[in-house]
Amino acid sequence: MEHVLLVPLGMGLIVIGAGYGIGRFTAAAAESIARQPEASDKITGAVNLPLFLLEGVAILAEVFTFLMLILK
Amino acid sequence: MATGISGNTSSSVMESVGPNIIHHVSNSDISHPIIHFPKIFGLDFSVTKHVLMLWIVSLVVLLSIIIPIRKFLESKKDIPSGWVNLIEIITKFFRDNIVRPNVGSKWTMTWTPLILTFFFFILFSNAIGMVPIFDLLGLFNAYVLPEKSSVISGMLHGGVTATGNFNVTGALATITFFSIIIAGSIAHGFIQHWKNLVPHGLPWPVYIILVPIEIMGLFVKPFALTMRLAANMTGGHIAILALLSLMAIFGEMFSSTAAGVGVAFISIPMAVAISGLEIIVILVQAYVFSLLTSVFIGMAINVHH
Repeated sequence: MEHVLLVPLGMGLIVIGAGYGIGRFTAAAAESIARQPEASDKITGAVNLPLFLLEGVAILAEVFTFLMLILK
Repeated sequence: MATGISGNTSSSVMESVGPNIIHHVSNSDISHPIIHFPKIFGLDFSVTKHVLMLWIVSLVVLLSIIIPIRKFLESKKDIPSGWVNLIEIITKFFRDNIVRPNVGSKWTMTWTPLILTFFFFILFSNAIGMVPIFDLLGLFNAYVLPEKSSVISGMLHGGVTATGNFNVTGALATITFFSIIIAGSIAHGFIQHWKNLVPHGLPWPVYIILVPIEIMGLFVKPFALTMRLAANMTGGHIAILALLSLMAIFGEMFSSTAAGVGVAFISIPMAVAISGLEIIVILVQAYVFSLLTSVFIGMAINVHH
């Protein structure tokens, strides 16, 4: 029973981590675009790739947590 | 969805909600295929719902992308119009903003077709999952037709995203995996490609750590692609269905219809909002898959020594 209770906790931790990461990315991107609006295309391009990699890690963690839930 | 929930009246709602959601997003059972095919070399080629969706997707891509472009090329006009114009904008964006910066000008025209094929195929198969064709067919079958058609009820597993199946995205990622190797091999030669995996001129103890990491990375790249696409597509559908199931759950918990109807005022707007989010996710995931494929191919071609 306990491990089933821990699964939502794990999902919450993943969300905190991913949200913190995406928040940092977006904040940095918004700041640098505000400083240099003419470079916004380059900044968006540079931010995109790590953002997707981060998202991939978060999704992987979610999938494994979900597998723990259904495989018991 | 409506037919799915009302179909499971034998057990209590609480017990049937979870399996119902899983049943909706997962592939149909191979023992009850939509179209039966004989076994060839011990492999069952019967058409399950994800395979059916893949066929529909191929048909849609053929009709909406391949045939218009062929017609435009045969017409010998310089300026496209209408639908082909949109395809040209997407093609040009992918060539100039995604493939060229990552892969390099020399190999752009070699790899743009693959990246665009990935993009259009994933975009269409993601998007078709959001169109409730099969749910509408089920309602039509249950309420409009005088007697229930067995062909339609055989197909009634829901129109799902084929890319929500790990096997489908795994196959797509396998193409990426081999494209990386082929890209490296034709740019540098087969042996040199494998040598390029690790940087040259480091002290030898570093290689003991670096070589296993790079070999792991070789497999982690397509694995992450597989998981990202499938989990994103499945996750959105599970969220929508879970929100809609809240109505049934609350109706059962307080054993009153009013509770279920009351929750509907919260859960349906939220489901609509998540559907809107899903539309963004559909575009972003198709874009991400093509972007990451071109980045990985570019990493194999432009090696940093």
